[in-house]
Amino acid sequence: MNPSVPALEVERLTKSYGRARGVVDLTFSVERGEVFGYLGPNGAGKTTTIRILLDFIRPTRGRASILGLDSRRDAIAIHRRVGYLPGEFGLYERLTAHEQLTYLSSLRGGDDERSIRELAERFDLDLDVRIASLSHGNKQKVGLIQAFVHRPDVLILDEPTQGLDPLMQQAFYRLLHEARERGGTVFLSSHVMPEVEHVCDRVGIIRDGRLAAVEDIDDLKGKALKLVEVRLATPAPSGTFDRVPGVREAVAFGDRVRITMAGPIDPLVKALASHEVLDLQSREPSLEEVFLTFYATGDDG
Amino acid sequence: MGSVLTKTLREQRRALAWWAVGLVAACVLTTAFYPTISKNAASFQKLLDSLPEGLRKAFGENFASPAGYLQARLFSIFAPVLLLIYAIGAGSRAIAGEEERQSLDLLLSTPVRRRRVLLDKALAMITATVGLGAVLALAIVVTGPPFEISIGVANVVAAVAGCVLLALAFGGIALAVGAGTGRRSVAVGVTAGIAAGSYLIDILALSVNGLGWLQRLSPFFYYRDPESIIRGLDPIDAIVLGAIAVISVAIAVWAFERRDLSA
Repeated sequence: MNPSVPALEVERLTKSYGRARGVVDLTFSVERGEVFGYLGPNGAGKTTTIRILLDFIRPTRGRASILGLDSRRDAIAIHRRVGYLPGEFGLYERLTAHEQLTYLSSLRGGDDERSIRELAERFDLDLDVRIASLSHGNKQKVGLIQAFVHRPDVLILDEPTQGLDPLMQQAFYRLLHEARERGGTVFLSSHVMPEVEHVCDRVGIIRDGRLAAVEDIDDLKGKALKLVEVRLATPAPSGTFDRVPGVREAVAFGDRVRITMAGPIDPLVKALASHEVLDLQSREPSLEEVFLTFYATGDDG
Repeated sequence: MGSVLTKTLREQRRALAWWAVGLVAACVLTTAFYPTISKNAASFQKLLDSLPEGLRKAFGENFASPAGYLQARLFSIFAPVLLLIYAIGAGSRAIAGEEERQSLDLLLSTPVRRRRVLLDKALAMITATVGLGAVLALAIVVTGPPFEISIGVANVVAAVAGCVLLALAFGGIALAVGAGTGRRSVAVGVTAGIAAGSYLIDILALSVNGLGWLQRLSPFFYYRDPESIIRGLDPIDAIVLGAIAVISVAIAVWAFERRDLSA
């Protein structure tokens, strides 16, 4: 297989539905060995893109390929090499977790018993429990295990950590790391900024079915705004923080000041040092806030 | 758990066991009453003769003979309806059921073709319906003689085979509607509607002159006439019913292969 062929490639990909909620003219590619985050609010078209890649729905225009294989013509060859976790999925309630997993793996023609056991242990999942009595988080684990079990070359994961508790998220991140060490490629959709920052090399940002940007994660972090809220013992006169490097906006109300800033936080901390600070909170902006700042279009910005 | 076929059947074992129990019960309830009926044969025949000609034909005209009795009580409506309900349920669930409970994406993300999944599901429906038919035939052969019903095994098999083929024709239609729409309730509704409609047409045509051509559109026509339990299964009728099933499955494959699946 030609190593210069991207792991995943979409070209002018368009899916129109009668209503809105499709994708328009998407073009991007994911290199081998990359962990690529596909980021966007719910309903932006992430799942639509993924389901075209796997040939569950067919594009109106354009094409998609994985490892040089065409999503329509070579769907079965693609399925052989891809591990897929749907954003929403149902399992067979009457089966046990173990039966569900062996069923899917036997359809792949493999005997993955050892791999199933090992992954179940890592995710702390009891394989002998019936699906019907599993919690949402445990069902998500079954979904994750079936995606990883055959050690696929490409992982396509739609909102992989939803419903997982923090400990299990860590277990998942370790698996991602190992997959990449093996030379695997990961295409991961999410609407949670910090998660994408944590695991991805590059992100594609999609909004309203259109690709808003494809960025290195480091560049994106540099651009991302932080929101800092401080409570001061004595209200600061207005304009106190406006000239601090990196501060975009500082709004005072009562004893609180809400500051929006980019880049390092150090200059702000130094500036605050001359005040008596009662409380300080800093948080990442939500994805929507990032959009509003960087990708706002003329009419809705 | 090897294939879609074995898994589908395995998942069904408990339900199938209950269906088998039901069929045997229906069969025993029918055969056990035969001695009562045959003792009063004359009065029952009189009652039957007073019915309009169409209904008489629908139920079978020779009520007092063992074969005529089974035809009237079991094979005119009861047995075919039971098998029909099973097959329509299985056909509707096959694709639309998986799609509605959102397990289809995972299933089709394996290197198994859509048509392979569909054909395995169709095979599961056929196997289970034939199995239920075999249970019914066996029940008749075993429970008949103690109640003065002794019919040749070949005739019982012929009658049951007719039932099974009729059920598979409608099961195939349900499978096609479900595979084409992805909606189970639509598949059940449309197929049950077609079944009820075509039954009515067949019955009406018996008493209304000039409906003969319309009758030939009804699958029930190829099941009811001639009465297989008495005269054996007509090969043309069997072929027509089988063809409806096969063509329905082919349409199901065609529709399923080219459709966008719902998430």
